[in-house]
Amino acid sequence: PQGKRRCWGTCRRRYYNLSGQVSSGSHLSFQQQQDGNPATSYGHADTQMRYTPYGIPPYHQRGSFQKRDLTIVNMDTKEKPPERKTERKRQEETLGSWFKVTIPFGIKYEEKWLLNLIQKHCGVPFTPVEFHYEKMQAQFFVENANIAFALKNVNGKIYNEAKERISVFVEPCDAPHSVQKELRSAKVAQIKLTLNKPNEGSQESLDLQRLYFDPGMATAVNLGQGRAEGSAWEGHSVKSAWEMDKGQRLGPDEMCADRNRLSTTFPDESSSIRSDVPSDGQETPPATHRAAEACQRLPTCKGSFFGSDELKSVVLQFLQQYYLIHDYGDRHHLLGVYHDEACFSLTIPFNPEDPDPIRFYEYLEENRNLKKLKDPHLRVQLLNHTKVDIVTYLYVFPKTQHDLSSFVVDMWFQTETMLWVLLSVIAVEGRYQGCVRAFTRTFIATPATSSSLCIVNDQLFVSDSSRDETESVLFIPMPTCSQQEMVCSFSITSRMNFQKWMDEPPSQK
Amino acid sequence: MRKFTSDWYQGDREGTHGRSNHFHEEPQTSHACRGSRTREDVATPPLLGQGASGSPLTMSMDFKTYVDQACRAAEEFVNIYYETMDKRRRALTRLYLDKATLIWNGNVVTGLEALTNFFETLPSSEFQVNMLDCQPVHEQATQAHTTVLVVTSGTVKFDGNKQHYFNQNFLLTAQPTPNNTVWKIASDCFRFQDWASS
Repeated sequence: PQGKRRCWGTCRRRYYNLSGQVSSGSHLSFQQQQDGNPATSYGHADTQMRYTPYGIPPYHQRGSFQKRDLTIVNMDTKEKPPERKTERKRQEETLGSWFKVTIPFGIKYEEKWLLNLIQKHCGVPFTPVEFHYEKMQAQFFVENANIAFALKNVNGKIYNEAKERISVFVEPCDAPHSVQKELRSAKVAQIKLTLNKPNEGSQESLDLQRLYFDPGMATAVNLGQGRAEGSAWEGHSVKSAWEMDKGQRLGPDEMCADRNRLSTTFPDESSSIRSDVPSDGQETPPATHRAAEACQRLPTCKGSFFGSDELKSVVLQFLQQYYLIHDYGDRHHLLGVYHDEACFSLTIPFNPEDPDPIRFYEYLEENRNLKKLKDPHLRVQLLNHTKVDIVTYLYVFPKTQHDLSSFVVDMWFQTETMLWVLLSVIAVEGRYQGCVRAFTRTFIATPATSSSLCIVNDQLFVSDSSRDETESVLFIPMPTCSQQEMVCSFSITSRMNFQKWMDEPPSQK
Repeated sequence: MRKFTSDWYQGDREGTHGRSNHFHEEPQTSHACRGSRTREDVATPPLLGQGASGSPLTMSMDFKTYVDQACRAAEEFVNIYYETMDKRRRALTRLYLDKATLIWNGNVVTGLEALTNFFETLPSSEFQVNMLDCQPVHEQATQAHTTVLVVTSGTVKFDGNKQHYFNQNFLLTAQPTPNNTVWKIASDCFRFQDWASS
């Protein structure tokens, strides 16, 4: 019933203290952790098998894997019989022996905290691979049966801050995706006939490059390579990062609506480049042949698009300041940037087979996806209206971290009078409890002054991040120095501009 | 948190049943006006609060109705747009204003002629929309025309290419006629979620 569901979200929000921070440990009133084997509790074991298109030799398949490794972990001694050693050696040349470690309800815990706790009680040091949250669980992989055995023994020995026991389950599995990918890439590189083709796969590292960030404190980590530090506010460094970003991602070809000049990339591996030169010596091939080739080409995808150079710096500064406040400041300051009667709504994807995905639990009640939400009454209710409503909602929003240099921004504007500026931001959002999500934010803003914007419409769509995005994202902590000053000055300036805009009727240009 | 913004919302739960006949019309009935427009038009019943001269909706209309109208337009639009894109591609540009702009994965396409060429060369598509949201755009940003922001997301497969997740947003502006309101695209911004690996 809807009434009950609304209560859940309200209760959820009460857990946030005034500064919007979240304390670690369990504060969500989920069911008590179960002691059962995760395979039987959740019934997901089979569906978690990874798709292995390149095929794994039979002795790596799940069945034989399980049998063999159960034997290993049950042994009291670390020494293995000779035939086992041979088999293991053969495996290690290819995929190694891998185990999946599952912590039910692990989503409640921050990654570093959880791993440290486990390590403290684990007899051997371990390297977690592909730590991630899946639904309510935390999962990671380890390579090595001894380590798996030691981790299995941690079960029943660790507790959270509320003195609830944390279960740890270990089971054999196929090599994790990133490992398989690396192996696959290496194999492909070996058999490739083309010379000097850069192989992106071999650049991948299994190390997770995550920066751990203390809530409420900006621990400035110097990433080197010219990343933004104190100069972020001037916009110069961040702009440089974005320019660089754009340059890196741009293809050399420009999109042209003229069909004859279409130059393209071929994102599909199976498509091949066919020669345009026919054998009969004519300069141009028959139109039909050319059309057949052209019909499958997509225009080159490019980086951020700014419809106006004039507005570009305004937009960049706006986004910088918005997310700085959103991530590190008091979100009440955002009152200064929204129009009095602004609108805000939030959506998550709709999958009829899983209409209320647990991994988006904090958004379920506010989800205004019209594909799912049909009640006209709720459709109005879930559209936050007025800046007070919006900022009140954003204030209790979970803590986030955004990497501005990962933002892709498309900006367009009303060309005659510049009445509106439309920003479409696609990026990845990091969360305090470690999960990473993709989001798309659409802002419509009106110029409040020549140098600042005022938001009239704001739409946020949150979805899953693909693994590649996760691995490549580095979250840049903002420096503490003068942060408060900057935040305050932004809000004051914005309020003044906002007020001015409201006082003066918009002029016809 | 879910405060009632009582300034705007005057009605109650039964209010939805007591609305005028204008809002009882299902989207399909708008097709009955086919004689005055083409099949691809996105049309909804005439907007409440709209003067005969096409003057903008005033804020004296309650917010709820404003939102209802936007939702109706958005749903009608999304159904027609993606079906036209997939099955009647040549008719797609009829949904755009003459000076509309499309930003497609960072490439800008402006004007009907350029749009026509663009859609002609784009491979055939299969769209699946799994997210739709819309908001009425504030009058301060539009002044002259009633405008709705429509945001969509889902998957698309272009012939000969791999499937992509996409994000798209539109600004639709209302063009009132005596019998109905026709919505056209003023701006269109489309991007693959994984554009960088495309």
